[in-house]
Amino acid sequence: MSAVIKFEHYSWKYTRTKVPALQDINLEIEEGALVGIIGPNDSGKTTLAYSMNGLIPNQYYGVRSGSVYVMGKEVKEYRQAELCQRVGLVFSDPEAQFTAMTVEDEVVFGMENLGLSIEEIERRLEWVVPLTDIGPLMDKPPYEVSGGQKQRVALASVLAMQPPILVLDEPTSMLDPIGRKKVFEVLRRLKEEYKSTIVVIEHSLEHLVPLADHMVLVHNGKVLLADETEPFFERMDFLMEHDVFPPGVMEFFFQLRLLGHYPNSLPLPRTLEEGTERLREMLVGGENG
Amino acid sequence: MNKTILGYVPEESPIYSLHPFVRVYFLMVVSLWPMIISSPEWNFALIVVMLILLEYSRVTLSTLKLYVPVSISMGVLILLSYTILGGRHPEFYEVFNLLGVPIYFERIVAAVEVYMRILPMIFVMVFFLSTSRERDILVAMRWARVPFTVTYLVAMSLRAVGMVIEDFSIVRQAEKARGYDPKGKSIPYKLRQFVMYIIPLMGLAIRRSEEFSNALVARGYSFTGLRRVKRPDYVLTKYHFKVLDGVIVAILSVALIALVYARYGLGLFTLEGSLTMKWLQQWLVGGAG
Repeated sequence: MSAVIKFEHYSWKYTRTKVPALQDINLEIEEGALVGIIGPNDSGKTTLAYSMNGLIPNQYYGVRSGSVYVMGKEVKEYRQAELCQRVGLVFSDPEAQFTAMTVEDEVVFGMENLGLSIEEIERRLEWVVPLTDIGPLMDKPPYEVSGGQKQRVALASVLAMQPPILVLDEPTSMLDPIGRKKVFEVLRRLKEEYKSTIVVIEHSLEHLVPLADHMVLVHNGKVLLADETEPFFERMDFLMEHDVFPPGVMEFFFQLRLLGHYPNSLPLPRTLEEGTERLREMLVGGENG
Repeated sequence: MNKTILGYVPEESPIYSLHPFVRVYFLMVVSLWPMIISSPEWNFALIVVMLILLEYSRVTLSTLKLYVPVSISMGVLILLSYTILGGRHPEFYEVFNLLGVPIYFERIVAAVEVYMRILPMIFVMVFFLSTSRERDILVAMRWARVPFTVTYLVAMSLRAVGMVIEDFSIVRQAEKARGYDPKGKSIPYKLRQFVMYIIPLMGLAIRRSEEFSNALVARGYSFTGLRRVKRPDYVLTKYHFKVLDGVIVAILSVALIALVYARYGLGLFTLEGSLTMKWLQQWLVGGAG
């Protein structure tokens, strides 16, 4: 698979800060992959996301070095309107990105900006509304629906522009568990049914890890670890040293492994269901043995 | 129920068969009528018409109780400013003397006239705000070919009002949670302490404007017209300007012209010809006038 986003020795320092937000980033994101970006607060994750869709350097003052390529072209060479058709960005605070009076207006706003025909707008609405399950909300003001619904509206308004790459900056940080589950359900469908390239910046790993193909650890403005999800979480000690707390089920099996009850040859389970099945197999195997 | 700017109106309300432009046009034209009509009984008749329209539009009339204290206070203030604070006018007829302050008949008439002009204007506004949503204002403007940038600016302003009110409530609750209670303090003290609200509100407003601007850029919007494509207006396709709408606009326009002619051409709807004023004169002045 080819890299749709490529960082080459990329650094960015905001004018108002002394320390660079990102330093010497080298990272490739492959087409069709779901990539999870994790790391503590102020590690540079949002700056990384903004660098992918051109908000940096277009909207912020700072010093930039190195390159960011989106679909083979340097970000600086894109017009902003052209770039936002390639990379859709969903912000962490859904309410902050609402610009319209009804959910329907909000979803069509981006499509109108792209100059799509009315027929095409209707066709895309028919696709995105059931996908994000916002049908009953269309006539309501976007800032009056629940937190989870707000984030699905924000997601729908970006998805409707059908960017081949979708970047989500902490999309579930303000949501309750049901809201989180619903947002990740949409991402699962996008990954499985539409083969979209998705970059998710997230603190809560419970829903991210089962879906992610690759994981990236950002810490103090540097990429400390980037790998496929399974080998990434094999470095459990390293991750925990850098304030990453993996899903409980992974941590439990990692502890079992340290105690010699879980073989190194098997990957750590990513979901509760997978973990339960492994444990059942181990218990049944133990009884038979 | 449809949420309007001032309340809720059932979805099946007949008002929704009218195009939003007709409602905005009604507001603009009918609120001019009391400025042309001097005669209080005709302005009272307009209030009655507005009440009938509110009932016809299925607006819950009990909500009007909210405006009773405002209307009474406004009436008292107008009466006080025209009579007690109206100055000394030896040329006017003195009805009675209140603790050394002469109360003139002409000033009472002026107060009644002004009050009876403002009251129907308020009813027209209440009717409009009770039956319309923010979206209707924008649709009306866009239908009238007002440039998109202007309508969008209006939309953002309407949106900003809601956000500032919300932010103010958050800041106030935060101040209360930290023991700040202005209850029982003097007004100058409260005014001085208002700075406590202004500073965080300004900070929040600046932060929100940054987020808002990022959201617009991320969805391909540009105030500079760099889109280079014709912007479709999907929202307008949801509304159809029917023959009835055209007829109502025509009737309102003709009525306004007829009213101007009747008032300034034929001398109708004047204060001098008003039955109310004649009765008031009879009651306060008697045979002396």
